[in-house]
Amino acid sequence: MLGPYEYAIWLLCTILEAGVLVCAFRKNALRRYLLLNVYMAASVVISVARFDILRHYGFTSNEYLYFYYYSDSLLTIALYFALASLYSHIFSELKADYYIRLGTLFLLSATALFSYAVVQQSTSKLVTHFVLELSQNLYFVGLVMTYVLWAAILKMRETRTRLIQLVLSMGVYFSLFAANFAVQNLYHSRSPFFEMLTPLFGCFLPFSWCYAFWKLPEDARITPSRLAVVPR
Amino acid sequence: MSRKLTVVLLAMLVLVGAMGLKTVVVAHSDGAVIMANGGAPQPPTPFPPTFAKNGGAPQPPTPFPPTQLK
Repeated sequence: MLGPYEYAIWLLCTILEAGVLVCAFRKNALRRYLLLNVYMAASVVISVARFDILRHYGFTSNEYLYFYYYSDSLLTIALYFALASLYSHIFSELKADYYIRLGTLFLLSATALFSYAVVQQSTSKLVTHFVLELSQNLYFVGLVMTYVLWAAILKMRETRTRLIQLVLSMGVYFSLFAANFAVQNLYHSRSPFFEMLTPLFGCFLPFSWCYAFWKLPEDARITPSRLAVVPR
Repeated sequence: MSRKLTVVLLAMLVLVGAMGLKTVVVAHSDGAVIMANGGAPQPPTPFPPTFAKNGGAPQPPTPFPPTQLK
């Protein structure tokens, strides 16, 4: 049963997601980071739709269950493309847009094929199995891609503060969920502490993007030596 | 051509790394699903582990293990 805490966190997360769009609009970053904003807009719309379905059919209903997992898969794909757009920003000076698009689509196709190969023996609900598997696999692909991007930022001595903030926040966001999930599995823990903690992580990404768009101007620069010590 | 092949190779490496990481993270998993989009409460997974619904006899291992969701 859902309590006030769950509803409060959900509301806070949705407000923060809408806040990202407002901050990006006010700071003229809506078009510059279009795919990031599309992801946030989709998150807001899906959050409202989820609430509507929850209100009509209930938390344990099949309608909420299927809508939740199918919409999550769509959001994961949107987040994947948002991450790919950050690659385009980082490698913009190398004029590597074509190769980034090629790599992004190839990786998405390979992940989809792999997911299908895993679930193809399912005799029932093949599509639902596939959607869940794809969402899971794409999440981990996004996690690895973020670390690769971070390595590229360090290697190329990227100095754009806002871009660095966006990439770092994505890395922390992916890592928080993965670490939390691993710890829960390791100790087989479904304690109330973890149940309270996990939804809070969902607020991290919109909060940090709000900060990045509102507080950090596009022309702000940071010296790479302040980020990490890179051996020459 | 070699640039395209390099992109494909990098993509394959990322996929292999991601699946390896996934294997590590979901080790000891009980079938739970990691969800990381938005703050909506997560419903139970559509595919819970097989459980016996009829009678009280101890359940043997399933002859055909269901596909791992994780």
